[in-house]
Amino acid sequence: MKISMDKVEYECRRRDLNVGEMLREAGVSRNAFYSLARKDYVVPPSLIRIAERLGISVSALLEDTDTPVERMKSLAAESERISRRYPGVDRDNIRHTLLLLDEKPVERLRRALRRGRFIDIR
Amino acid sequence: MAGSLIFGDREIEFLKELVRQKVEFMIVGLSAAALQGAPVVTQDIDLWFRTLPDPGLERALKKVRGVYVPPTARNAPMFAGKGIELFDIVLSMDGLGEFDEEKRQAIKIPLGRTKVLVLNLERIIASKRAAGREKDRIILKVLSDALKAIRERGRSKPVRDE
Repeated sequence: MKISMDKVEYECRRRDLNVGEMLREAGVSRNAFYSLARKDYVVPPSLIRIAERLGISVSALLEDTDTPVERMKSLAAESERISRRYPGVDRDNIRHTLLLLDEKPVERLRRALRRGRFIDIR
Repeated sequence: MAGSLIFGDREIEFLKELVRQKVEFMIVGLSAAALQGAPVVTQDIDLWFRTLPDPGLERALKKVRGVYVPPTARNAPMFAGKGIELFDIVLSMDGLGEFDEEKRQAIKIPLGRTKVLVLNLERIIASKRAAGREKDRIILKVLSDALKAIRERGRSKPVRDE
């Protein structure tokens, strides 16, 4: 199981980034990334042997820990922590802000403008 | 479909041109708050200019085929033209210092491939508080809660793109 450069580049393009920018923002050096990208196997050899013994693909043994449910759980916990620290805050305001912080600034602005079109705030 | 066109390439191009022409401006108001993560809605993007008219602004407008409409007795100055109708002109801010003073505390936020100066959320709250209009009072609670969330997130992990 190796890194697919096509997939990395595709995901970067979707976010209006090039690979260099993405690595900089992720805090990963180009050397570290490209040395990983050259490898035929990026998963531990022991896991590969387990998969071979079971006659299945390594990916069949993995699960994504960043599922939408996990993400929302972690967001709720963070929101709860902040609300406890600042009594009187509105939990929805905190949760919505945390959600927006995971988006790019330009997307946050587009969201505000799209909603503003339908709500008369004047 | 039309919704996805809000704040697209044309608007970003105008901001990029303003930066390229070294026009001194910053994004203020609720659009500035939204850029920083506050869950607010807005209908326009307020641009606070240090001085107007500005030759750099004229060049930027020419590039995006827009025009500056000078103030009249009844109307504030405004922009006209496709791609810039979302932008409103601001020449002074309630409850804030001079442009240069506020600029020192402003933050740079990437929009497309350019970075623009944005009034920081704390100062947006100060200006809304000073303006004291009904619509400002309503939004103050949201802004102040958002500021707390942003600061807390900043403590645990860096705020994305800022």
